[in-house]
Parts: sequence; C-alpha cells; structure tokens
Amino acid sequence: MKLEYSGQEKVQAEPEKVWRFVQDPHKVASCLPDLKAVEIKDEKNLVATVGVAVGPVRGTFKFNIELDPRPEENKMLVRLRGGGLGSAVDLTASANIIGQDDQTTLLDWSGVANVSGPAATVGGRVLDAQAKRLIETVFANMGQKMAEV
Amino acid sequence: MSVQTPNLEPKGIQGLGKPIKRKEDARFIVGKGTYLDDINLPGMLYMALVHSPYAHAKILNIDASEALKIPGVKAVITAKDLAAAGLSWIPTLAGDKQMVLADGKVLYQYQEVAAVFAETRQAAADGAAAVQVEYEPLPVVVDPYKATDPDAPVLREDIKDKMEGAHGPRRHHNHIWNWSVGSKEETEKALAQSEVRIKQHMVYPRSHPAPLEPCGCIGDMNKATGRLTVYMTTQAPHAIRTVLSLVTGIPENNIRVISPDIGGGFGNKVPVYPGYVCAIVGSIVLGAPVKWVETRTENLTTTGFARDFHMDIEIGATKDGKVTAMKVYTLADHGAFDAAADPSKYPAGLFSICTGSYDFQKAYAEVDAVYTNKAPGGVAYRCSFRVTEASYLIERSMDVLAHELKMDPAELRLKNFIRPEQFPYPSALGWTYDSGDYEKTLKVALERIGYYELRKEQAEKRARGELMGIGISTFTEIVGAGPSKDFDILGIKMFDGAEIRVHPSGSAIVRAGTRHQGQGHETTWAQIVSEELGLDVDKIIVEEGDTDTAPYGLGTYASRSTPTAGGAMALAARRIREKAKKIAAHLLEVSENDVEWVDKKFVVKGVPSKSVTMNEVAFAAYTNPPPGLEPGLETTYYYDPPNLTFPHGAYVCVVDIDKGTGEVKVRRFVAIDDCGTIINPMIVEGQVHGGLTEGFAIAFMQEIAFDEQGNHLASNFTDYLLPTALETPRWETGHTVTPSPHHPLGAKGVGESPTVGSPAAFVNAVVDALAHLGVRHIDMPITREKVWRILRQSGIDSF
Amino acid sequence: MEITLNINGTEKKLNVEPRTLLVQAIRDAGLTGTHIGCDSSSCGVCTVVLDGKTAVKSCTMFAVQAEGHSITTIEGLAQGDKLHPLQQAFHDQHGLQCGYCTPGMIMAAYVLLQHNPNPSEEEIRFGLSGNLCRCTGYQNIVKAVQQAAQMLQQPTGAAADD
Repeated sequence: MKLEYSGQEKVQAEPEKVWRFVQDPHKVASCLPDLKAVEIKDEKNLVATVGVAVGPVRGTFKFNIELDPRPEENKMLVRLRGGGLGSAVDLTASANIIGQDDQTTLLDWSGVANVSGPAATVGGRVLDAQAKRLIETVFANMGQKMAEV
Repeated sequence: MSVQTPNLEPKGIQGLGKPIKRKEDARFIVGKGTYLDDINLPGMLYMALVHSPYAHAKILNIDASEALKIPGVKAVITAKDLAAAGLSWIPTLAGDKQMVLADGKVLYQYQEVAAVFAETRQAAADGAAAVQVEYEPLPVVVDPYKATDPDAPVLREDIKDKMEGAHGPRRHHNHIWNWSVGSKEETEKALAQSEVRIKQHMVYPRSHPAPLEPCGCIGDMNKATGRLTVYMTTQAPHAIRTVLSLVTGIPENNIRVISPDIGGGFGNKVPVYPGYVCAIVGSIVLGAPVKWVETRTENLTTTGFARDFHMDIEIGATKDGKVTAMKVYTLADHGAFDAAADPSKYPAGLFSICTGSYDFQKAYAEVDAVYTNKAPGGVAYRCSFRVTEASYLIERSMDVLAHELKMDPAELRLKNFIRPEQFPYPSALGWTYDSGDYEKTLKVALERIGYYELRKEQAEKRARGELMGIGISTFTEIVGAGPSKDFDILGIKMFDGAEIRVHPSGSAIVRAGTRHQGQGHETTWAQIVSEELGLDVDKIIVEEGDTDTAPYGLGTYASRSTPTAGGAMALAARRIREKAKKIAAHLLEVSENDVEWVDKKFVVKGVPSKSVTMNEVAFAAYTNPPPGLEPGLETTYYYDPPNLTFPHGAYVCVVDIDKGTGEVKVRRFVAIDDCGTIINPMIVEGQVHGGLTEGFAIAFMQEIAFDEQGNHLASNFTDYLLPTALETPRWETGHTVTPSPHHPLGAKGVGESPTVGSPAAFVNAVVDALAHLGVRHIDMPITREKVWRILRQSGIDSF
Repeated sequence: MEITLNINGTEKKLNVEPRTLLVQAIRDAGLTGTHIGCDSSSCGVCTVVLDGKTAVKSCTMFAVQAEGHSITTIEGLAQGDKLHPLQQAFHDQHGLQCGYCTPGMIMAAYVLLQHNPNPSEEEIRFGLSGNLCRCTGYQNIVKAVQQAAQMLQQPTGAAADD
C-alpha cells in the first residue's frame, strides 16, 4: 500500500539551529512517538524500536533510519526501512529547510511510504489516517524540540 | 441396537436411491469427530512460520538469535537447513518446483521464510515474531497481462534461462506454458463465414476454497523404528505418501499417512504445502512429533487459490441462432510457482469442456500460463480441473449471443443443445460425452420456475422502471478423472481401489482410497455394498484415510469419488457376489448355474422358497466353505474407468435489484441436476445446496484481490467475505436421471456441479436485469458497489 | 496462572497464560468438540454457551475472564445416550456435512431457541448469521432448527415427522 503525505511545519528557531538538530541522530530519534529503544550506529544511521498500533495490528516495529542532510541543497533526506509483526515499511521523506525573515524556519516536507503485510492488509482501513498522524507528530515534535534547544 | 451408532435409528438393508440418514453424523453431532488439531501426541512440539511482508524481495539476512532466546523455542530452520536435507525445493503437481522456505528471495506476500519449533504454540508464535529478516524489495508483477512485458522483472531466477518447461517451450522468463486444442485455422475460417459474431472478455477472479478447518499436519518420526507417521488434512493420502517417499527418500512402506476427519476441503487440501514439509522435517531433525496448524491468514494467503482465468471468447452463429464455431484465448495467472493441481497431460485441466452443452462443429481453445508475485495454487475448488471456468465462459457467452441476436436465452439454448440421440457425442475439442438429455432438464427447470410468466412480469416491471432479471445456465461438466490411458498425476494413474471384507457374522468393513470431507462416503459406500450384497447398512463400516489399511487411490476431489471409487466399490461387491454364489450353490445343494440373485438373496431358479441370504453365505465362507474353494469372503478391486462422466444441469435464477443501493436480491433459484443414478438423494440434495452457496459466494462476494504492490487484500474473514445464512438464498432443487452408460452404477458424481453451473446463472440474471441499460457483461464478484456505479452511470434514479 | 473453569458441570483446574483464549483452554482441557476456524471472530465454530444463556464465540474471551462462569460445550448437550433435540434434528435434516461448524452452530441455535422458542425462518437465519458453514448452504440447518423447535415444544421430545 503506497501512501504519500506532505506538510509544512513552522519552527521557532533559526535555520542554523535546525541544521544542528537534524544532524544529531539522538535528537532526531527523540522526536519519534512511543520510542522504546534507540541504537545510534553513526552520525547518519540509527536503529529505532517504536510502538505502533494500526487497527488490530499492535506491537513494536524496528526501523533502520538513515539521515542524509544536504545543506548545500537546503534539504534533508530521511530513509527508513523496517517493520515488525510480519509487516514492512519503506519510507523516503525529504524536507526543504527554508529560513524565514522573522528568525524562524519553515520545514516543507513530503514523504512516500510503502507498507506491506498485515499493517497494510488488516490495518488498511485505518492505516492512512494513522500513518498521517504519525508523520505529523514527528514533525510537530521536531518543531517543538528545535525551538527548545 | 446398533453398536456403531448408539444414538441413531437402525437402518437395515438400504440400497441405491434411499435417503438414509448419515452414519458419520453420530460422532459429529456430539463433538466427537477427530480433526487434525484434536490429535495430540506425547512430547509434541508446535511449529509456527515466519512470512514475508513483501510480494517480491531479496532476502539479505535472517537473524534467529532473538527467537532462540525465547523460553521453549527449540529450533529455527531456514532454506539453508532444508537444503542440507535436499528439501529446500519440492516438485509441484504441475511439473514445476516450488520453494519450501524462501531460498534467497521471496516471490509472494506471506511466503514462508523460516519455521520455528517450540514446546508450546505460544512460544512458537512468539519465536516466529522475533525472527528478524532483512529484505531488499524488488519490482512486483501483479497484473498477468504485464508479466510477459519485455522489461518485466525476472521472478523465477532459478529457471530464467531454461526455456523448455514441463509443458513445452516458454517464450518469456515469466511465461510457464502454452496449451491449445482444436483447429485454429478451421475455427477462424468458420467464424469468418458466420453471419453473426460476438466477442467478450471476462475474468473468472482468483478465489479460495477456505474450508472452515484450516490445513494442518503432524509429523511423527519414530527414530527407533524408522517409521514416519504423518497426520495430515489431505484429500489424497495415498498420493501424499508416494510424494513424501519421493522427496524424502524414506521408503514408502516406512511412511504412514493418516488423514483424520476433515473439516471441509473443496480442493484446498489436495496439494503439498511448505508447512507440511517443514513439520515433517522438524520431526525428523528434532526426534519429536511436530504439529502445525494454519492460521486463517496463512490459509487464505499461501495455500491453494483457485481460478484466476482471464478469458476472451469469440462465437459465430447463423442469424437464426445456430452456433457455428467458438474460439477462446485465456491467460492463466498461476502465481509464483506452477502448482496447479491438474492431471499431468492437461496443464489447463479439462478447460476444453468449454463447448458445453452445445453442438459446436468447430472450436479452438488456447491458454497461456504466466508467473506473477502471488501465491501458487490453481486448485480445483469444488470443480473438476478448470471445468468451472469453462462452464462459466460458455454459459455467460450464450447469453451475450442471445442478447446480440435479440433472442430469448432459453430458446437459443434449446436450439443448440446436443440432442439425446447424438450420444455418445464426440465434441469438437476431443471429448466423448457419455449421455445427457439437456432439453428435458431445461424444460423441467423452466416449468418449475414458471419461466414464461416471469418474462411477462419482467416486461411489466421494466416498463415501470423496476429492475428484475432472469438468468439461465445449462452446463455440462466433465468429472471422474480418469481413465488411465489419459489421466495421471506425477505418473500415477488415476484409478481407484476399494476393498470389502465380509465377516462371518454378516457384517463388513469396506475401505477405499478416497477420503471424504463431508460428502458422506461412510453412508454412500455402505449403501452401494448393501445394494450389491444385501447386507445391513449398519453392519457395514467404511474406513478411509489410513494408507496402512486402505487400498491405493488418488483421493477425493474433482467429483471423482463416485465415478471412480464408487465404481470400484460396486465391482468389488460384485466380485464378492460371484464367489458368494458358489458358496450359495453349495449350501443350496444345486449347481451354480441354478442359482440366481433375486431381491438381495440367492435363490434356486424356479424354486423361490429355496434361498440363502448373504449373511448365511458369509457364515459358511468361514465355517463351511465348499471343497476346493478358497475360504473367506473378501476382495480388492481397482477400477480404471473407461471414460469420464458428464453430469449436467439446468439452473434458473431470478433477481431483483435495488435501484438505490445496487443490492441484488436472489428471489428464486431452481436447480435441476442430472448426475445419473442417485445413490442417496438426501446427500445429493445437500451437496447441491452447498455447491450453490459456494457459486453464490463467488458470484457476489469472494475474491482474492491484490493491490499494486502485491499486498493480499483478503487475508482474513473480515476481508474475504463468505455468505452467512442471512444472505444465502433458499434453493429449489430437483433432478432428472440420465444414467452414465459406462459406470457400473450409472452414477456420474454431483459434488461440484452446482459450483460449476451456478455462477453463470447469477451473473446472467444480473446482466439481464440491466440489459436495457446497455449492460452486456459484469465481472464477478458482482458487488453492490459495482451495480450501484452502473446504475448511477446509467442515470437511473435511486427511487 | 491457575484458573478453575466449570465446563459442562465439571470443575476443571487449568494452568493458562493470561493471553490464552477461552477456546484454547477448553480444547486443552480435552474437549475438542469446540473448534477454531479463523483469527477474527468471524466464523463461529468456537461458539459455546456461557452461564446457560449466552452464546459466545470462545475466541473473543480470555480463559481468565471465564472464571466463575459456567460453560456449556457440544459435549455437554446430550443427556447420557439421549441426544438433545438439536443434535437429533441436525442428523434428521442432514444439517451437517463435514461437521466442523456443527458444534458451534448447534450451540448458537441452542441459545437462539431459548430466546425465541418458535422462530421464523428469517429469525433463524438472522440468529445464526454469526456462524459460517461452507458445506450445507444453511438450508438444512434452518430446517433442523425448526424441527428442534417443534421437538422442544412437545414435552415428550418425540421426533417430528419428516
């Protein structure tokens, strides 16, 4: 099941702060909702275990996450692959990091996810809404935490 | 009082045609059936499988370390472990091979990747959830029409350069075989000369038999004796034993396959599945019995699907409605491995029965099979090897032709039926139909439903804007595979055996190589023997499903039990009667030539008062055998049928359609079947009810669908819809009897006729109701949504 | 954990995991007449009767939730050798073929007839719509329930004519 989302998040911080944040895998991981465990492999790779509930499919999913910051393009790429409970998720997301006149930053993001297995088939009816909420929460958390730093 | 059935009434001698109550009910109604999951062996381990979430992916790594840490988990095996035993791939029934556990890549969603063995079923399930598999997704082929695109991804790396398959040349890496029958040139010529031609594309969607009991297996290797006992939900225990011996190398005498009570099969329980193999390997490796019982999701996603035929037909006719020729091209979606359960010589099964009940002088049928990223299968789901697809195709097409000719579909059929005097009838595609009276059967059905009054009612309703339709299906089946000259599975000829042992006190045990799953063999076989030998039905016990005791036979599917094993049973009984006659002559102190079998007794010709019963003969066979005659009274008979049988029927369906919601209500359904001689009319009627309900399910509800990524969209009973008592119509049944001239009892088999014949009647009725809106065809399943969209697009008001 | 279940009038002590479903506990207690057919509470082959009056799909309940309740399964329906009218009627009307759905179907019908001793065909079909059958097409099951309803209304329990 292919899902596509996009959105914008206004962050109360300057682009420099935002760049420092997204290049720190610890900080990025802390934005994942219901994070159970995280293992930082290096500055660009981490493995996160996250609680997931899609309809009757509930449990923990394990994700390999690759952060690919491209400051020269003002762009941040994230690739995520993993799954659990016999389901798999492949997600590619990108965010344009755009400095604003008022010392704030706009995250203009979009993502494409492919979901397979029971999460897609059994959870299919609620998957779209759940996934959308999940991804919005991630960016909302980022916006909030970036402002706190 | 009968000892076998303490709760039920005694029956006495009950032969053919008697609606006696079933002997097997006694245990089922009190919850004492023994299905596979009811069997528990000491020290038994449980197995759970790890499945792929992807429809097509490379396997980069399988990490079982976390699973092995779970208390109770004993072992995890993958393809590598199976390879050591030479069992990572197994041959399929169709001459292909298939992975047991994913070997390097997965080819369909939910494919088996690893097997976990544990002390409890919970630990096994936890273990399976803890196995970490790393995949690299690959492009997916879902649409069979795109499977052979030049740039389509290679699905089967193992045979990508092997362009000669089990059924001839392959023309693309995802092509399996091409099969054709009839003369293309002559057919095309006849079509070109026809005054009227119709063309229609139609899809018989992928379906699944979904018996309520899932598949399962207990492997039990006894290392001390070297004997492997396998309990398995199988419709064909003897063939399974042979296959197991071939793939494991264990001598066949050291394998015992026991098929316990089966909670429905419908073709789903014919093939060998990876789970079976893994449970057996697990038992051999771990030295303990291993049980595996499918979850419903495993059942629907990995085991034997059915149909998935994408058909194009062209029919030629004269202006006044006499058919001249038909040409069919079909694309068959076989999934990732060609595991279709068909006789070896017939990769598209008996699809060439597609000329149906009609006298086509010219015909040509061609089928291409392709690989896609879907589960393997192609089982005969309540169907004799693709006969369902063929019957649907011709019966749907006859309505399309009637529409084109502006002719009544009943009249068109009556005009084109093969006439009774044409039997045995050689069909244009090579079959010899045994017998039939199609006109009679249709006329009975039309009369019963009041066809011509219904047509008047329909015209009136249409004038008022109401939607009502009438659908007819006058199908001919081909069942009872089959004669050994043409029919085998993996080289094993498709005859069947029956054994009868008459005991001194006049009771008997009879055994057959078939395995019933609800068809009532424990009653009908006993009735055949009661008829032929004059023994009390209650004193005849029927046993099937244990390869240590039953004679060899290829099993119960494709409506073959009565045509094959039923014939064997009758002929075994007659062989016993031949011997019994000698003993009777001895008892009656006359020459054998002076003894005749009258009213289920041996009587001295011309002296009706001098007679002996079979009970007396049986006693004498053990206590007072004639000098020089071998004592005892038992025999085994292997019956090789001389031809297939051709049951037929006429079904008429009336539907009303709700203009607002698109809901189709089946108002009436009359099914007149002709399955030749009827052994037990109650059981036949029950079979017809069940088969019609499955036909109804396929026409309106059941579909195994996939999304673009190969996600299985019908993986449980909340997505794969089965009819309940509420939506199932009330069936009106009846029969005509045209015995098969070559079957020992004249019987033809009935279990599948209603599933084969009914879908076209439902679809024809719905299309008929919408025909005035320009609708000529709707693919199954006809959901409310499909009808609703047609209505809205046609500008029909909701009220 | 240790629980005690009253099944068919007999107290059974069982050791179960908290997540054990009632159907599994019943089967593990040796009463295998109650079957399992799906993972989604759709098929009804696991139907049992709770406290003599409620039909439940025993896959929708944890075993621990059944503690303190009485459970009736298909094995508890006959009185000695005397079949319950529903069992007799399913046999008489050929209301079963493979037999897999039969125990659940009979238990659901048992409760249906308690609530509605004289149901119409529509009411029977509605009442049994949580129980799937793949063999019979339901028609003879409906007839069996009608026969049982008649038998239950005749105090002698005499079989109806068929």
